[in-house]
Amino acid sequence: MHYVFHFDVVWDHFPELLTGALLTIRLSAIAMVLGLVLGVVCAYQASAGPGPIRQAIKLYVEIIRNTPFLVQIFIFYFSLPTIGLRLDANTAAMLAMTINLGAYASEILRSGIEAVPRGQIEAGRALGLSRLQIFRLIILFPALKTVYPALASQFILLMLGSSVVSTISAVELTAITNSLQSTTFRSFEFYFVATGMYLVMALGFRASFTALYWLVFQRGRGA
Amino acid sequence: MKTYLRLLALLVLVAGSTLSMSQPAHAETTLDKILKEKKLRVAIDVGNPPFGVLGKDGQPDGSDVAVARQMAKDMGVELEFVQVPSTGRIPALLAGRADVTIASISVTTDRAKTVMYCNPNGALSIVILAPKATAIQKPADMAGKRIGITRATLEEATVPKMAPQGTNIVWFDEIGATIQALLSGQVDAVAMTSFAGKTVADGNPDKQIEPKLTVTTAFYGPIVRPNDFELRQWINTWIFLNTQNGTLAAIYKQHTGLDLPTLPTF
Repeated sequence: MHYVFHFDVVWDHFPELLTGALLTIRLSAIAMVLGLVLGVVCAYQASAGPGPIRQAIKLYVEIIRNTPFLVQIFIFYFSLPTIGLRLDANTAAMLAMTINLGAYASEILRSGIEAVPRGQIEAGRALGLSRLQIFRLIILFPALKTVYPALASQFILLMLGSSVVSTISAVELTAITNSLQSTTFRSFEFYFVATGMYLVMALGFRASFTALYWLVFQRGRGA
Repeated sequence: MKTYLRLLALLVLVAGSTLSMSQPAHAETTLDKILKEKKLRVAIDVGNPPFGVLGKDGQPDGSDVAVARQMAKDMGVELEFVQVPSTGRIPALLAGRADVTIASISVTTDRAKTVMYCNPNGALSIVILAPKATAIQKPADMAGKRIGITRATLEEATVPKMAPQGTNIVWFDEIGATIQALLSGQVDAVAMTSFAGKTVADGNPDKQIEPKLTVTTAFYGPIVRPNDFELRQWINTWIFLNTQNGTLAAIYKQHTGLDLPTLPTF
């Protein structure tokens, strides 16, 4: 088949693509931070909280992890207005991403928490530390270190998954790409470039996570 | 001697036919391929009533689908549907996943830069649609309102141009999302075809949705890949015959409830 590539059209619109990529990065970064916090809170409550809260968290984790992200986004954007809560597309997208990541992060953290030796926790108790102190000082740090690679992968997946928020009119990279390809009809070119941009962003995030790991877990801890 | 002459004559014949065969052997056209494989692959968008929808039995239905079915039948080949979202109508064709796209693609000069149009087989109007209470009487009233439109549609090509300064245009990937945005109040009004608008209004009587403005009226036709002249010519021939015998008008009337306007040709 014969097809002539016209990449010049893409470079003409490159600033728009960059704007989209920036929103992708911003949405993902905010959702990563908030989602991690949510995940940690849930993981703590799931390991040390009272029974009903544990059950509620289990339900939350199961619902989020066993339903499509797209449907979750639709619920935040299209269903919440019926109960009077109207979020704009970016807020709805960010909220959906945070809540989605929170469930995954809490489940990933759970495995890290379970890997902390019982003896250390018992030692904490023997020292008279409170539950929160035990979690904060003894469990969280080694648990985070253990599951760090899995967590980082989940963060990257979240960033890549953010491409579906274009369906609710958030104008991130995929949305801009779709708009440009549908007005210029240079779909191959735009999708190729967008793919490259996602790759660069994923590698960029990965590099920052590696740097962060070194900063938090390794620097000055050789001794 | 006679035998030798005969042999010679035979040799000349064979040589001659080989020569004529070595004339530039035509590359197989898409039309050849369709006829050889006895299969016409048609890209359709089943999220765009009344042109393409999924029927109650889960099978594609709608006026585009009916046109595709009749076309394949008249061509004497099997029909294979390639279901695409509205943004995928041109990419699927260019990527070779389909031989022709029949998905109410209105004729624009921009699109004609990448694909070849056949003659129009139908017409559609783009309208601004909103609940009764929303005050939109003229284009200027759209200022300050959120207008939902679907990417890769005629409304995307026309509404931003007619919208006044201060109109907040919100883009969706699929018409289903655009409709949901109107019904859930995420946008004040939407732009879509008058037929799709009628389906939305009829399906949600409690919302009192009505057409407010007509943005434009356009003709749409099948598209083929650049250089598929043979296929385009066959489809044009088919459109000509089925305009004459009333088939196209009947399909249009059945699915839209409207009379088919006189179709121009080019």
